[in-house]
Amino acid sequence: MKRPVVPLLVIVAGTVLAGLAPLVMPPFSVRLGQLVLFYGGLAVAWNILGGFAGYRSFGNTAFIGIGAFTAGLLQPYLQGLQPLAGFVAGLVAGISACMVVSGLLAYPILRLRGAFFAIATLGVAHVCAELTNNIDAFQGAMGLTFPEIVPFDWEPRIFFYELYLAAAVITLLIAWFIKNSRFGYGLLAIREDEDTARMLGVPTERFKALALVISAGLTGGFGVIFANSLGYITTNSVYRDDTSLNLIVYCLLGGVGTLFGPVIGTILLVLLIQLVLGNLLDFHLFATGLLLVVLVLVAPDGVLGVIRKWRLKRRLAALEQA
Amino acid sequence: MFSAAFDADGFTEGGPADGSDRAAGRMNLLLQTLLDGLVLGGIYALSAVGFSLIFGVLHVLNLSHGILVLAGAYLAFALSKALHIDPLLTTPMVMAALFAIGYCFQRYLIQYAVDRSQLGSMLLTFGVALMMENALVWGFSPDMHSLTPSWAFSPLRLHGLTLDPVRLVALLTSLVLLGVLTIVLQRTSLGRIIRATAQQTLAARLCGVDVQNVFALTFAVSAAFAGASGIIIGMVLPFSPSDEGLWTLNAFVVVTLGGVGSPGGALLGGLLLGLVYTLTAQYIGPAFPNATMFLILVVMLMVRPNGLLGNAFAGSR
Repeated sequence: MKRPVVPLLVIVAGTVLAGLAPLVMPPFSVRLGQLVLFYGGLAVAWNILGGFAGYRSFGNTAFIGIGAFTAGLLQPYLQGLQPLAGFVAGLVAGISACMVVSGLLAYPILRLRGAFFAIATLGVAHVCAELTNNIDAFQGAMGLTFPEIVPFDWEPRIFFYELYLAAAVITLLIAWFIKNSRFGYGLLAIREDEDTARMLGVPTERFKALALVISAGLTGGFGVIFANSLGYITTNSVYRDDTSLNLIVYCLLGGVGTLFGPVIGTILLVLLIQLVLGNLLDFHLFATGLLLVVLVLVAPDGVLGVIRKWRLKRRLAALEQA
Repeated sequence: MFSAAFDADGFTEGGPADGSDRAAGRMNLLLQTLLDGLVLGGIYALSAVGFSLIFGVLHVLNLSHGILVLAGAYLAFALSKALHIDPLLTTPMVMAALFAIGYCFQRYLIQYAVDRSQLGSMLLTFGVALMMENALVWGFSPDMHSLTPSWAFSPLRLHGLTLDPVRLVALLTSLVLLGVLTIVLQRTSLGRIIRATAQQTLAARLCGVDVQNVFALTFAVSAAFAGASGIIIGMVLPFSPSDEGLWTLNAFVVVTLGGVGSPGGALLGGLLLGLVYTLTAQYIGPAFPNATMFLILVVMLMVRPNGLLGNAFAGSR
């Protein structure tokens, strides 16, 4: 299968630029960059199921939580290892746990469509949070601590920045690979018309489940890194409804189902909220809501959709003149 | 979530260690739990009926439903403070105000998203919910409020069961309002038009129904009932602006359990949910009502996606 190379070049160039940027950025910008990379990567992961296949999850925070808590609960057993090796073991365990859980959930949940799927995923997130908080073995209410994993000659801020960057780039590469694969075309067919796709021989059940498992695994990976960067987590710090919903808004703003849309949306919104409204904490919820309303009414296909429409119009105008 | 408010009272433990007495105590506990569940269920039913109506007629999943419920509660709070009257007496004013708000909300905002994807209208209503939640925080602070009337806590006792008058009134009001809505839908011309639009929007339009107007009226009726339920909720439980998601979710669960679009379905779903809530809280643990609820929800969605009473309005396709 022939894949477009331009997006790949963009990803590589962006990685190099973003990777070198902390050398010259002031501390606050590095922190902002962490946020953008964390949420951007999560949005790209959400987009694999929500954008490519059209199954909009409202509960991705469940996998952040599962990943984080799996890694956290594993820490006591990894005392003997190097801190960094312990982190990798936690990462693998967290990702695996998310994939297993999402694989088990796939059968009941992916039978639901549209709004029903959305609410069911929201429910899953709530149930996971509640169980983590209330079952003593998970220690969700008390909290879990993570050991220091930053190698001694790194600045923690920059170390986690690069870690988020690596995770985000891997996620983006996976999304790029999926989008231009037979699997990706299958997901697209499911999004446009699931029944017809099924009739034409797309293994819809398997493809949907696979997309969910990949999306959940990536999300879980980000959860583990997030937990390590916090150092101490409770149920409320990793299971957050607003995270799930923010991801949707980022994708919507950039362009749902496009490769770079989630990243663009995240950059725009995180900068808007943190820089423009940084001092108006009381206003955040209102601004997000207003943005959502305006988006749905004015630009339902996001920034990339607007650009695409504009370019199409220009091309049509040029054709008419010729 | 708020099960604590419900199982804090009612059952008085103790008594002699006599076997038959203990059996009677267990029986009483069960009855009390069922009674609390029914009261809670009546409130759930009333709070969900508007959501159900909008879903049935407009096919819009109104994620701002919870905020409309809370708007009713806060409006009653402000009115009863300003006019020095019992919160229950503000019901007509609150319903009228929310009727108007709902009408404009649908006509001038949601209408533009109805014809688009379902996700569009969902996100639009969600955005409005966020804005209104923020506005409520500005207006009333993020703290808990309650509408508890002065006559609230003089419990009636009957064979060892307790029921305070405020809950009794809450249940009765819920049932009366649900009955009124049923009559409106079944017996009046407005109800007939709403049902016709729900069955087949195109056919209704062909028969000369102003569909946009009907959509707006449906939304207005549903908002009015949401507001009324807000007053009832405020009388029984404390509320704060961040509760809105909870009430939207509850409405969704009730509708999924009972069936879309009919007061009967909402009543059945609400009572079931109330019973599940109190029974789980009492016998499994106060931490588990939500988990149980969503387990039931997911099973229900898989087994009988149209709810127990089916889709009351939809015509055969």
